[in-house]
Amino acid sequence: MSEKVISRRKFLVTSISAGVLGIVIGAAGAWLAKPEVVAEKTVTETVTREVTRTVTVTTTPLPTVTPTVGFDPVTQRAIDGVKALLASGKARPGDTIRILHVAGSRANLEKAIELWEKHVTKDIKIELITLGQEPDVYTKAMTEAVTKAGTFDAVTIFSTWLGDIVESGLARPIDDFFAKYDPGYTGDVAPIEPLGSYTTLYKGKRYALVFDSDVFTLSYRRDLLTDPKLKDRFRSEYGKELKIPDTWEELIDMAEFFTKLNLTAPSGGRVWGAYFYAEPRFAAYITWLNIFIEAGGILFDLKTMDPKIDTAEGKYAFDIMLRLKPYMPPEAITASWADLYDKFVKGETVFTAAWPSLSKEAHRHTAFVKDVAGSAVLPGVEVEVAGRKKIIRAAPNPVNWVAVISNYAKNPELAYLFFQFATSPDMGKDVILEGVILDLFRKCWFTDPRYRPAFEEGYGPEFVDAYLKSLEISFPDLLIRGGPEYLGKLTVNVNAVMAGTKDPETALSDTAADWDSINKKYGVDAQLEAWKSLAELFPSDVKEVWKAKGYM
Amino acid sequence: MSTRPPKSVSLLANLPINILLYVTLIVPFILMIYLAFLAWNPAGGYEWWQAPIAGLNNFIRAFSDARFIAALGRTVLFTMAVVGVEFLLGLVLAYLLLGEFRGKRAALSVIIYPLMLPWVVVALIFYLFFQDYGPVNNLFLKGIIGEAATNIHWFLSPTTAFITLLIADIWQWTPFMFLILYSGLSAVSKRLIEAAQVLGASNRTIFWRIQLPLIRPLILVALVLRALEAFKVFDIAYVMTGGGPGTSTETLSLYIYRVAIEYHDISYAAALSLIILIILVAVIRVFIWYSFERR
Repeated sequence: MSEKVISRRKFLVTSISAGVLGIVIGAAGAWLAKPEVVAEKTVTETVTREVTRTVTVTTTPLPTVTPTVGFDPVTQRAIDGVKALLASGKARPGDTIRILHVAGSRANLEKAIELWEKHVTKDIKIELITLGQEPDVYTKAMTEAVTKAGTFDAVTIFSTWLGDIVESGLARPIDDFFAKYDPGYTGDVAPIEPLGSYTTLYKGKRYALVFDSDVFTLSYRRDLLTDPKLKDRFRSEYGKELKIPDTWEELIDMAEFFTKLNLTAPSGGRVWGAYFYAEPRFAAYITWLNIFIEAGGILFDLKTMDPKIDTAEGKYAFDIMLRLKPYMPPEAITASWADLYDKFVKGETVFTAAWPSLSKEAHRHTAFVKDVAGSAVLPGVEVEVAGRKKIIRAAPNPVNWVAVISNYAKNPELAYLFFQFATSPDMGKDVILEGVILDLFRKCWFTDPRYRPAFEEGYGPEFVDAYLKSLEISFPDLLIRGGPEYLGKLTVNVNAVMAGTKDPETALSDTAADWDSINKKYGVDAQLEAWKSLAELFPSDVKEVWKAKGYM
Repeated sequence: MSTRPPKSVSLLANLPINILLYVTLIVPFILMIYLAFLAWNPAGGYEWWQAPIAGLNNFIRAFSDARFIAALGRTVLFTMAVVGVEFLLGLVLAYLLLGEFRGKRAALSVIIYPLMLPWVVVALIFYLFFQDYGPVNNLFLKGIIGEAATNIHWFLSPTTAFITLLIADIWQWTPFMFLILYSGLSAVSKRLIEAAQVLGASNRTIFWRIQLPLIRPLILVALVLRALEAFKVFDIAYVMTGGGPGTSTETLSLYIYRVAIEYHDISYAAALSLIILIILVAVIRVFIWYSFERR
């Protein structure tokens, strides 16, 4: 999609001119049009437009801007769009937008609905169809793709599922809505790249709106890591400094140290050194994959699409995880993903890694670790590249909720406008901060002084910068057709190794065999094309190692 | 003069129910059989009627699918264990409650109560019960083996995780067995029992020689119904263990669900379902023949 580029000066001049012209026209309209209601409406719209444009070009913080006076242009276009649809009769009062989503995002969406009713309209109702677990959403979405019943207008999905959702015919292309309403995917307000593109585009078409970003960071108990007595003790026992670990090897030592201290958490529970995902439902693959990638592993051969996980890097990833296992609570292998959150928020783990929402939860006033939760980039793996030892760091970016409009929606345009509204810079800020599983994704929320303080407060002071660094080294989920199936098979095998029911060698060869059959199911050539494109999105350090190893 | 209506009227009168039957039962079933011979995947970019023919490939694949065979074996074991225990417990309870005693109504209500709970509630209750710091470890086992009880991780070992599933199922479904057997035992004629008592038969003899043989058809119904349900177990495995650790508690239904819904391999799932159907029909047929028809 091409974008017309204008200079800031020209934009300023045009904006002010438009504003002045608007005021003149508005005033004239008010004078000419006798019915007072019409006159009042015209004046309000004119003032709104002028303030909006002034805010866009200035870098001065405007903490006192009230929502009713002026919104960012993305929000405003969504509001105007709904009003235009209502005025033209394309939407009618009483219309309902039905959204299928997972329970974890309910608080986010409820906030969005609250804002929608306050700033847009109460005439268009939003109905939430809430499902308990993440895989349930995929199930229902794929069922809708088969039945074409029009049971919902939009669905929030993992970006990993996008290939399947598009190929099944469920996802409606939204390039036309993008052109008509411009949701702010360029410039300072755009979602962070390349995340904004690879989670919403499929085969060159736009199918989704970003609603989340999911890069993993390391969360840790700062009070324990900076305690002078513990630092001395660790130094005397291990001959190393107690600090934010640079590598997984360092982290294992620290996890062992803290576990053996047998500390009591603020909640009264036991403190474990570490908690990294190894659970059976869907998250077990994340930790393994991160270590694997940092060790220089590549998922598939870039020439043949043969699975390349049954390799030394795969075994190394298991080695790290199995060495960490004694210092992790047993629930890491059996409980659902939310248990990791629960334990860290209660202060029962020293090191952990999760989605950004963990930091948000850890900084809520009810959290035991509110004042002591720190954030950092995930540890790396020391790898030899061209005769030089180098620590390779990467950060997984699993899931990324995105909003998709159904091809069988009764109100596709309204549904789109709701999500443009809910994900806009102004509204999205509140939707993200007040909800649970959805996290910051627009660049301006990190950089713009109007937004950044709110996110620093919501996620903790260390988080925003740590997250920006993590984004730079992030790698995408397996965003090719069959992504959930590939990762599902890996998850089952990682969990089996961690539970002791399979040895790493068998797990890796089983996964490779499963992946091979998935490749054949979808067609090796098509999968290879998709994988080649995806591989380009991996961090440059990782690609450097791939090249050094002859993988790329 | 015949009072029977003409055949055409009968056919016409039955038409609505026949249509309903075909639409809701027979057509989907035929469709499932057809799908089992295709290679259809909803994410494949084509509709099911455009899918390529796979012939017997899905069936051949099933018999070399170690995960499917393991799930089949596990489900058979699960079915035999839970049906056996539930039958015995149900029979004992039914026998004990046959007599009249104070508080019998309350006891009946309490026994039937688990049956009224939605499966997801039962699964969640037992999931919480068997947590490391849950009541099973902290209250029950702690009193027997002391502090070591909190080191028992029920969901971490394939054996203990499987046992938790058995316990949850037995807790919920024993009342079903009890209800059927209790109604059967209650319906046995009191005259027969009194006559046996007059002739000097002991309670044990009355039970084994009179009551049990008379309720044999009901026992068969209870066992068949319960075995069919137990064989389809999905809910508690999905909620309590997710099939884990690894795939060690994955039941057939859970595996087929994953194949169909998570891996969206609909044709393969249809083939697996057909195989299960054939196995079940064969087993039940043999069971009925053994119990009723053989001479």
